[in-house]
Amino acid sequence: MSSGGADKPGSGGGAVKTPSDFLKSIRGRPVVVKLNSGVDYRGILACLDGYMNIAMEQTEEYVNGQLKNKYGDAFIRGNNVLYISTTKRTLADGA
Amino acid sequence: MSQNNPSQLLPSELIDRCIGSKIWVIMKGDKELVGTLCGFDVYVNMVLEDVTEYEYTAEGRRITKLDQILLNGNNIAILVPGGSPPDV
Repeated sequence: MSSGGADKPGSGGGAVKTPSDFLKSIRGRPVVVKLNSGVDYRGILACLDGYMNIAMEQTEEYVNGQLKNKYGDAFIRGNNVLYISTTKRTLADGA
Repeated sequence: MSQNNPSQLLPSELIDRCIGSKIWVIMKGDKELVGTLCGFDVYVNMVLEDVTEYEYTAEGRRITKLDQILLNGNNIAILVPGGSPPDV
């Protein structure tokens, strides 16, 4: 991992979770990846690196909440990624 | 002139103070997010919890709730500690 940030706990008292910690914790879990274009990709996160390059399995593409494509395995280049989200809740509730 | 001034606050220290609290992230383009800041790195990639995402479109404002996200710092424009978008 390329994360070089040195974080200290803030006065809020919450546990600090850096981007690097987040990356380690979500491997193998279902995620939603949102690109800068607004398109969502949902699937199982297989592998990723510190540049947010992502390999996903069982990948589904959603545009404005509508399923458009299924890709199985997909590689997403990190520069396109807006965020990576864990999906305890279904996204359809809010979208 | 501000070198070696012990009261100078680094930008990263301002963000650091927000850990554990709500933060309002205004992105480039018509997108904003509000969530609890869990951590960040030197690129200001951020881990946020209990996130509300606001997207402003021609059809109005779309709200999405997200549990925990890693937000790419590349398109972050403004961070407002403790703030939130006006309820238009």
